[in-house]
Amino acid sequence: MAGDAGRLRAALRGWALVSPTAIYAVALLAIPLGTVLVVSFLTDGRTPGGLRTVLPVATIANYIEVWTNDIYRFLMLRSLAVSMSVTLVTVVLAYPVAYYVSFHVAPNKKALWLFLITIPFWTSYIIRVFLWKVILGFNGVVNSGLLSLGIIDAPLQAINYSVQAMVMTLAHAYAPFAILPIFVALEKIDRSLLEAGQDLGESRLMTFLRVTLPLSMPGVIAAVLIVFIPTVGDYVTPDLIGGGKLPMIANAIEVQMLKLNSKALGSALAVSAMLIVASVTVVFLLLNRRFLGGGR
Amino acid sequence: MTDTPMIDLSDVQKYYGDYHALRGITATIRPGEFFSLLGPSGCGKTTLLRTIAGFEEISSGMIRIDGRDMAGVPANRRPTNMVFQSYAIFPHLSVAENVGFGLRRLGLDAAEKTRRIGTALEMVGLAGYGARAAHALSGGQRQRVALARALILKPKVLLLDEPLSALDKKMREQMQVELIKLQRQVGITFILVTHDQEEALVMSDRIAVMFEGEIAQLADPETLYRRPTSRRVAEFIGVMNFLPATIVSEGSGRAALEVQGLGRCEVDAPPGGVASDGGTTVGMRPETLTILYDGQAPTDRSADGTVDEVVYYGDMTYYDVRLDGTDRPVRISMRNVFGRPVLNIKARVRVGWSPGALVLFR
Repeated sequence: MAGDAGRLRAALRGWALVSPTAIYAVALLAIPLGTVLVVSFLTDGRTPGGLRTVLPVATIANYIEVWTNDIYRFLMLRSLAVSMSVTLVTVVLAYPVAYYVSFHVAPNKKALWLFLITIPFWTSYIIRVFLWKVILGFNGVVNSGLLSLGIIDAPLQAINYSVQAMVMTLAHAYAPFAILPIFVALEKIDRSLLEAGQDLGESRLMTFLRVTLPLSMPGVIAAVLIVFIPTVGDYVTPDLIGGGKLPMIANAIEVQMLKLNSKALGSALAVSAMLIVASVTVVFLLLNRRFLGGGR
Repeated sequence: MTDTPMIDLSDVQKYYGDYHALRGITATIRPGEFFSLLGPSGCGKTTLLRTIAGFEEISSGMIRIDGRDMAGVPANRRPTNMVFQSYAIFPHLSVAENVGFGLRRLGLDAAEKTRRIGTALEMVGLAGYGARAAHALSGGQRQRVALARALILKPKVLLLDEPLSALDKKMREQMQVELIKLQRQVGITFILVTHDQEEALVMSDRIAVMFEGEIAQLADPETLYRRPTSRRVAEFIGVMNFLPATIVSEGSGRAALEVQGLGRCEVDAPPGGVASDGGTTVGMRPETLTILYDGQAPTDRSADGTVDEVVYYGDMTYYDVRLDGTDRPVRISMRNVFGRPVLNIKARVRVGWSPGALVLFR
């Protein structure tokens, strides 16, 4: 009996410890998510007074609309294309930075370098996006600079209100997120493995390809996920840098939810986007398991 | 040219900034030799090994391997392979992939590759382990994989950086014997870095004892043990009794001494003579002194003393005996042959010795 009481007390203490996080997660994550999921299977309609509302009529019409309407497919593909480009650019650019800090910066200077890498986070994301607008805009720094140097006759259109400009902005915003996990993976590599690679006859480049790169893959995949998942759903950059002319899926959700007040269709869009992101993520996680399985 | 040395080190210097890690190392290592670099940590033995492997550039001097100057030759172009202290087994590869790592550049077909990997694994006693994941191996197995991975490339020199230090005592002793056998079998020059004097004595053809970036003495194990040239080497290798002595006369390679507790004796003078200020030290290994039991044949000389301490090891007993007229005891090791009693503390004993066993330091 005393043992049971003790176990109960231990269980209560455990619940007490996790409860703040658990309550937070349930209230702010699980409940809204569940609501969105439920609403996505209901019908948009009007109250007798003519106001738009969600009618409690179960249907899968929203999903049929989302998965058959070309506009949503187009926006989803654009979102995926943008966020995959951003991920590729970010990770490819982040790897050398992480490599340099891990392998060529003196150990006592590494903390300073990581600190410097996080400096962009000192300003808000919105402000950083705005700054890119200033740099890339029609009358922006790049265009006026090139104009005054006489390199171009008219402002370049390609660099503003374009997918490239969006990729550039997002890649800059997410760079530290990609650098840090790759850095951590590189730091964990036993340096004698690299010497062993060379000792066994391989050049520095081949040692990198055969030893360093495979051993840093868990960090690379973490970086891919960390950049890919939030950028698919980004809607600030398309608004500001894309000038609202290049909406992504999140902008469509915003329009349905807030502007057209079609909560059910918006929810179906959100759930569909989430499923697509989740399936891409699962592919990467499976890849990661392959590398993690080999690497202890 | 059979007497071309396999490795020829001439005045090798290495600086790390202001720190002088190698202070003019000159030595030759013969083909097929089992050579050890022995010294306390920080003596430069690992640095020397790494300069031979090509991981460290030397500041001045010359390293030749098989007659070829190694200046500017990177590690991957040197005819050496290394067994790392941590073994450096690639964690993302299987045992077979680890062992075959260096074969890629040889452009072998898959069948030949598999055959060579199989032979190498068999050589180190890991036949059939090829498919195992590297991280599923024990310490001893990892070391064997590291050995197979290095030997499969048939290097001219195999470099071993404290390869046994991570193993427990039993495993270490077993691997010592296996390494000696393996070295005889493959006939490759082995250079072993170790801080364990016993390991160096057991395994090596010759040993270079290093202190502070210099070779203090380079000799075969027996010479090193019996005739250390300095007190420091004598202290580092095994146990040695040191007795104060005064030089009475010196000439033609011999010196007459007055040794505290042992009396007047004549010994070989070290090359280059002794300091002429008179005071010096002589050394004597514990087994060159013997406690004379009743009825035992007399030795050249003897002295009386009292047992201060008894340390019983089963096969051996160590006695600390204070000889009459001395202030410090000498250590004497006695084999516990059948029927010989172990003495007690405070027992009076007669200690026999021979002047030939004395080592006079410069």
